[in-house]
Amino acid sequence: MATSATPSVALPSGSGTLRYQSGKFSRFLLRDRTLGYLFLAPALVVVLCLVAYPFFNAVLLTFQEKTAGAPGKYIGLDNYRELFNNPVFWRTVFNTIFYTAASVALKFVFGLSMALVLNQERLFNNFYRSFLLIPWAIPTVISALNWRWIYDDASGLINNVLVRLELIDETISWLADPHLAMFSVIAVVVWQGTPFFTMGFLAGLQSISKELYEAAEIDGASVIQQFWHITIPCLQPIIVTVVMLSTILTSAGIQFVLILTAGGPADRTMIFPMLSYAYALGGAQRLGMGATVSLFFFPAFVILIYFLTRRMLREKEI
Amino acid sequence: MIRTKSGSQRMVKGIGNAVLVLMLLWTAIPFYWMFVTSLKYDKEIYGYEATLIPENPTLANYATILRDTPYLIFLRNSTVVAVASTVISLIIACLGAYAIARLNFPGRALLARLLVCTYLVPASLLFIPLFAIMSALRLTDTLHGLTIAYLSGDVPFCTWLLMGYFKSVPTELEEAALVDGCNRVTALIRVVLPVSLPALVVVTFFCFTRAWNEFLYAYVFTSTNAARTITTGLVNFMSADVFFWGPLMASTILSALPPVIMFLIFQRWVVKGLTLGAVKG
Repeated sequence: MATSATPSVALPSGSGTLRYQSGKFSRFLLRDRTLGYLFLAPALVVVLCLVAYPFFNAVLLTFQEKTAGAPGKYIGLDNYRELFNNPVFWRTVFNTIFYTAASVALKFVFGLSMALVLNQERLFNNFYRSFLLIPWAIPTVISALNWRWIYDDASGLINNVLVRLELIDETISWLADPHLAMFSVIAVVVWQGTPFFTMGFLAGLQSISKELYEAAEIDGASVIQQFWHITIPCLQPIIVTVVMLSTILTSAGIQFVLILTAGGPADRTMIFPMLSYAYALGGAQRLGMGATVSLFFFPAFVILIYFLTRRMLREKEI
Repeated sequence: MIRTKSGSQRMVKGIGNAVLVLMLLWTAIPFYWMFVTSLKYDKEIYGYEATLIPENPTLANYATILRDTPYLIFLRNSTVVAVASTVISLIIACLGAYAIARLNFPGRALLARLLVCTYLVPASLLFIPLFAIMSALRLTDTLHGLTIAYLSGDVPFCTWLLMGYFKSVPTELEEAALVDGCNRVTALIRVVLPVSLPALVVVTFFCFTRAWNEFLYAYVFTSTNAARTITTGLVNFMSADVFFWGPLMASTILSALPPVIMFLIFQRWVVKGLTLGAVKG
């Protein structure tokens, strides 16, 4: 297990060599400007090699017919043409928007309710807080696998209980029924993702001054008025940040769909990362088509990332 | 007036309690199902004799997973990759974050923005070109290849978190050290890092969990059990055998334990870390 001691142990040996440089050179090395670039260099190498270059590569891939290992062949805009003429793609666009909007909205409502409840005075509050956050701490893959088993046609928990209670005669195919599959997947996304909202909102609630509520109470404001006129305005910055962050992570997350439905039944749960994966690694290995799917969604991410970056840096006053 | 207020407050409390119970059940039931399935024989898992409470609890599934499957190899791979990527990311991030938070040089704000942007670029936009690059460099199906891939997200993430912490260390502390004959490097090591130790713990936790829980890169870049991590290994179990839910649930319990235990230990700092770092209001 990595411990916090590691970096402070590892750092001196790396930078210790600096101290042995001779006078003039070491003064040059220790100037803010030189040192700034020097310190940032490793991070920049990582970003350039592992994010910027692959991204540039992805743009080129969209104009190519390419399989892994073989050199690509430039085919102009054929990938885009094929994609836009494929009804599955437009279904994916719709699904991605629906899936993201519904999941984020539900996570928001549940997360806010949970945070409000946990912010009340109560015995064992620390226990509830820890417990309710556990779905966020475990690997998403594990949540997805567990829910796939809960949804199981023959022996899953839900069908098992519903049959026992004699509420249904025949088991329900939660993940294979075209009308249900999307909602079943969204339920899992919400189960796993709500704690992140709870944590953010709870932190926000705790930073709201009690005096605001006391003053409102003296003025005769009801609990609901206090909620709309104090709680929500005070939480607003956190709400915007959390919702934007979650929108990016939810729409781009592939685990739930890949494990629960693989995009089926009849593409009803096909969202863009899944389609991209299916093109690039599902049999035919059409990397160009896969990259084209991802890139089509990139402008939406650019807008989100632009605003989110500004917010996140402003909060840190950098 | 006073009576109605206490009445409405009592009602709010009552609703709160009811919501709490529902939320606890909603959170707990999947864990319950995971846990009891892992304790049941196949007879109680499938078909007409399926039970909600195990009648003959057994640890056989845990024995199966540890003895008859490559689970321990996955566990080792996950640990190696998570520890390696966390250590490397933290070293790179400490230097980078210190430069952005404390040193004055042209382009500082732009580079800070670049780093945050890259942290926000989702893996699903990059896995295809990265896969092509990894294949070309013959880094697929290796643990170091996977570690390198994880740096793409972990380095910007850690740098960004640490930026905020370093910024909150009082400058006077460092100025005093500089007056006392420290230079920037020794000030970072002797003053800023020790003061930021709690922050480093939180960032370590976040980074380790990120790597431990990562799925897409591990799934795409590995093809044999020798390099599979837990997350991808378990998904492969699922597609390999139909009647595997007992051992599979045993392995999900085992795999969820490390991050959960870490979370419970570091919880106080994690929630505080989120306030400081991710969603400061």
